[in-house]
Amino acid sequence: MTLGVPVEKKKAAARVAQNANGHKRFRSAHARLAIAARKPVIPPTGTLKGGMPGDPATLEPAIPAPAVERAPNPAEKRQVSLAQMLVFELRVRDAMTSPPITAIATDSLRSIQNLMKAHRISGVPILANNVLVGIVSIEDIINALDSGHINEPVEPWMSRKIVTLRDHFSLVRAVAEFDRHGYGRFPVLDANNQLVGVITRGDITICLMHQLERRAEEAVAKEAALVATRAADEKAHRIVINTDVKSGDFESAGKLSQRIREVLRARGVAPEILRRAAIIAYEAETNIIIHSLGGRINTSIDAIKVRIKAIDRGPGIENVDLAMQEGWSTAGPLARELGFGAGMGLPNIKRCADEFVIQSELGGGTRLQAAVFLQKAGTTL
Amino acid sequence: MKLKTASKLPALLTVVEAQPLTDLAEVELKGCYISDLLSDVLANAEPGVLWVTIQIHRNVVSVASMKDITAVLFTCGRKPEPDIIAEAAEKGIMLLSTTLTTYETAGKLWKAGLR
Repeated sequence: MTLGVPVEKKKAAARVAQNANGHKRFRSAHARLAIAARKPVIPPTGTLKGGMPGDPATLEPAIPAPAVERAPNPAEKRQVSLAQMLVFELRVRDAMTSPPITAIATDSLRSIQNLMKAHRISGVPILANNVLVGIVSIEDIINALDSGHINEPVEPWMSRKIVTLRDHFSLVRAVAEFDRHGYGRFPVLDANNQLVGVITRGDITICLMHQLERRAEEAVAKEAALVATRAADEKAHRIVINTDVKSGDFESAGKLSQRIREVLRARGVAPEILRRAAIIAYEAETNIIIHSLGGRINTSIDAIKVRIKAIDRGPGIENVDLAMQEGWSTAGPLARELGFGAGMGLPNIKRCADEFVIQSELGGGTRLQAAVFLQKAGTTL
Repeated sequence: MKLKTASKLPALLTVVEAQPLTDLAEVELKGCYISDLLSDVLANAEPGVLWVTIQIHRNVVSVASMKDITAVLFTCGRKPEPDIIAEAAEKGIMLLSTTLTTYETAGKLWKAGLR
């Protein structure tokens, strides 16, 4: 029996078959269908009646089909399961050709033959007053050519014994019906008994292939998205460095900024931006060493910015505005001897920072917060 | 022509009668900056320059590293402790020392064409 696969779908089938993976899935889908076809799982349902106009016999919805037995090869388990899932999940309306190519009862068999040729189909439902009254297959046409009634109207020659499927039936049920009746196609009716399509085995295969391909693409896309997200997370992964800074510990100065430089360099941050972050950390660190009783620097680095928070335990800055002036310093002789106390620390920090806040209170502590954005070019130092 | 040769590090060694403290690579210096104030260097020195200073403590190396300074020349015969020299070598910063004063050093470097 010829499968009435319309040209469009044949092209689609060829496209899918070109894809190596698609081809594999195609075979798998076939295998699955073959299993389903060999083992009808649907209890016999529906009635077959001579179709009176307006009363087409229809298979009524069946009891939900039990699960089909598992395919034996565990390696194929996933694919078979997916195909299996799909034949239950997909409906006849998902696979059918719609709208269907139809003819009316008064048309000649010759015109139907031409219709089949033109659309490359092998069966045509016949309507009378928009109601399905019969069906003509390519065999009927061959018989007509043989017997010489090809130019007669179709009505007396069409098959009135019509089995239809409902558009909401599952594909697994459709497959079982094909197997049971041996027809090449079924007209498909909607809930209002209107003819909405025609379905063939080929339609089902192509539909499954497309679905499998789509699912596979979705799975690949999902996987790719997951990998991308993971990479972004990795990139955005925040590094927090909490450093205790001791008063007068000049030997340790620079370790934090060195660490910040290493992290930022590993992340491919531009040298200019990296330098600004390191200078802020260094100046904040030496400020605590030189001026305070000790403190702590909390640094957090993510994909967006470096945030440096320096908090000391006092004694606090008497006049923050003065401290922000270049050249103004309260550093002691030791610090000055070492080259600190130029009165440039805070102005340097402010200059390097994209965000800068300082709060201080004499007798209390100093709290400095600065941030450098990693993704935009800032002031060049 | 003279200017170009004079901006190369090993050539400058003789100009300022300096002694190398680390291995010296044949590199072009982008200029010179002289300061003993670390914050000043942090704020104003350009990357790739020779830094002339009398400061010899560890923070010089930190600051030089932070600013991507190519080499540090210590004046007045001052030399950092060996562990600081080792740290500089590890960070790729070249160190030199001269017995000249900073003023004399500056004059000779300028005269040699390091601008």
